[in-house]
Amino acid sequence: MGVKTFESVSIQVSQVQPHFYGHVYQRTRAQGAELSPVQEQQHTQDEGRQVMRVNFDFKEELAATLEGASVNLCYQCGACTGDCPSARFHKDFNPREIMLKVLLGMRDDLIREDSIIWNCSSCYNCHERCPQSVKPVEIIIELKNLLAREGIFPKGVKETVEAIKKTGRSTIVTDYTHKMRESLGLPPLTSCEPGELSRILEP
Amino acid sequence: MMDVGRHPRIKLLAYSEVEEISGYVGNFRARIRRKARYIREEDCTACGDCAKVCPVVKPDEYQQGFSSRKAVHIPFPQAVPSAYLIRKEDCLGLNPIACGKCAEACEKKCMDYDMSDRFLELEVGVIVVATGMEPFDPATVAEYGYRRYPNVISSMEFERLICAGGPTEGHFLRPGDGSRPKRIGFIQCVGSRSRKDGQLFCSNICCMNTVKDTLLLADHYPDTESTVFYTDIRAFGKGFEDLYQRSREVGVQYVRGLPGEIREDSKTGNLLVRAENGSTGRLEDHEFDLMVLSVGFTPQNGNGKIHKLLTLSHTSDGFLLESHPKLKPVDAPTKGVFFAGTCEAPKDIKDSVTQAGAASARAGILLSAGKVKIEAITSRLIAEKCTGCNVCVKACPYSAILPGDAKKKIPVSIVEACCSGCGTCAASCRFDAIEMRHFTDNQIYSQMDAILEENPREKIVTFACNWCSYAGGDFAGVSRLAYPASSRLIRTMCSGRVTEDFIYHAFRKGAAMVLVSGCHFADCHYINANRWTQRRVDHAWDRLEKLKIRPERLQLEWISAAEGQKFAKVMRELDEIRKTVTIEEVQDTIAALSKPGK
Repeated sequence: MGVKTFESVSIQVSQVQPHFYGHVYQRTRAQGAELSPVQEQQHTQDEGRQVMRVNFDFKEELAATLEGASVNLCYQCGACTGDCPSARFHKDFNPREIMLKVLLGMRDDLIREDSIIWNCSSCYNCHERCPQSVKPVEIIIELKNLLAREGIFPKGVKETVEAIKKTGRSTIVTDYTHKMRESLGLPPLTSCEPGELSRILEP
Repeated sequence: MMDVGRHPRIKLLAYSEVEEISGYVGNFRARIRRKARYIREEDCTACGDCAKVCPVVKPDEYQQGFSSRKAVHIPFPQAVPSAYLIRKEDCLGLNPIACGKCAEACEKKCMDYDMSDRFLELEVGVIVVATGMEPFDPATVAEYGYRRYPNVISSMEFERLICAGGPTEGHFLRPGDGSRPKRIGFIQCVGSRSRKDGQLFCSNICCMNTVKDTLLLADHYPDTESTVFYTDIRAFGKGFEDLYQRSREVGVQYVRGLPGEIREDSKTGNLLVRAENGSTGRLEDHEFDLMVLSVGFTPQNGNGKIHKLLTLSHTSDGFLLESHPKLKPVDAPTKGVFFAGTCEAPKDIKDSVTQAGAASARAGILLSAGKVKIEAITSRLIAEKCTGCNVCVKACPYSAILPGDAKKKIPVSIVEACCSGCGTCAASCRFDAIEMRHFTDNQIYSQMDAILEENPREKIVTFACNWCSYAGGDFAGVSRLAYPASSRLIRTMCSGRVTEDFIYHAFRKGAAMVLVSGCHFADCHYINANRWTQRRVDHAWDRLEKLKIRPERLQLEWISAAEGQKFAKVMRELDEIRKTVTIEEVQDTIAALSKPGK
């Protein structure tokens, strides 16, 4: 992670605009911690160099949303992951890491086709546990919104949305559902028109 | 503590409370309540016969409730004076005597059930506050199950369990079933660095306390497996890193990552913990025989009382505020009062001892001199003008003004030894009965007159407090930051010195703008005098609005000595507003403010 002085950032901004993608730093392994700002286009896969990109814009993009700003308070204690039911069953799902990626601006890791964030079950355990009052679930929901805005969501979510649009219900009601209800002595389902809901779902 | 008890020049008043303090540096009078022990302490030999027969059994606070004590007891084995006392609230009855067994058992006949609290008046020159802090109660962190699961204990309880003088006589046993735990987990930062439970600050001692505990366990029971869950290990003091490394060398596992919750295996009483190991990024399942919650600290609850007794203030985290964080770290803002230990901030034993030494040395300076030198800048009362309205008494952050009486026409009186010279009293007096030495009203009016003699519409009259804003302006200059030349600074000791009339006078003289600036609230060098600045400026804004004068022309800014950048920025912004002030506006203002009765 790059250590930066304020001066170098301001110089950098004036040099690299308008195609400036966050603040880009390179670290030469041989030189240890010698850091200097470079343009993103110059070095990405240079051999012997490790390029670390910190995209502050992503954090700010989230901070502008309803609950996203709380991510700045995260100190990576891992209490969220320790209590996460999804992390138990999916070894790659790690709320702490998602927070870190947001802080480091690793947008491409989160906003992409097979994004890990859809594994969040929104149980709010992390929300309860976080000592810094970060709201990981809210942040993940904001990330999901970002993804959805770009038209990326898993099949299941798409189907649910379609189902709500058509029937007003999030699950599809089949003959089996009716039979099941009858056997349990429940009243038959009335129709549930989406009505005004469909207006929200309009793109 | 024994040495303190035996020292010929130290008078130790145990089981006592300070009720009232009056006076000022060198001449404090303290009223002390000596609580009734119901046992004459000079006669008691601490033989313990009374406790043997006492029928009342209560949990022992000193042993963290792990063992019991009687209603007649000695608070802890090393207590000085070494004498028993009866807890009135626990005893079956002293008046009328309900049981009286202790009196029968006492061979020396030291029991005195008719004893009542005595009061002691002391005259003292200086006061050292060393009221300490309180451990955080981890029961509020519901997910760790403290109090719900017997084998989850706090670090304070751990200390008792491993202590040779503890309830188990040094045998480390777990409270659930009395067996010896082999796998022990520690959780750090319980009640510290948290916005949810406990305090925002780092409690400073818990990391090293845990490191020490793990080494103790490794020393006493080499087969124990200790695991520490932490956020950051803060081993910052002398030899601390060394101790931490030693703890790692003996095989203590340090896992970076806090567990989400503790669950109990109801059959074995063992504790199940799932936590992410930050170094591998993997979730790990652990099973422990005992969990220790390394608790943080909270400021002492009684601090509110100390505040009132000695007119002290505290920082946002609740610890007492020192006079200056770097230059006067053990001095209270009230002269003649010093701090030692954790009442000022969480700190370990070494730092507490260091601070105690510093506090007593600072106290010794005052006591050996026998006199105090005070700054020449103090307030002076013009008694014939004082109506005894006591407005200044409330304004004084140092309680340096003794109240007068308006009905009996007794003026207030100023204790100059307490006065620090902020001038808040002079600013609050509506009868001009208080004059400041060196920062007189005349001087300030003359400065304003001189500034506004020519082209007043191009000037911003800026009141800057000596400690922060004036220094901030200085810093802007030294840093060679450019800002418009329209501002003219008038220095006051505190922004609280700025009377509303100063502001109106500047406007009456045709000033385009007035800026009042001072220290940030937490940094006020006169405890809280700048709160009065805020109130006065708020009031002035209201009045300007009523007189149809644009309130933006009066500005209030908090600029610290390090904020040269902010000073320059504020000046640039104000200059933009100044440019919008028209000649007509200034003339209207002069007319509005010059009307008689205004």
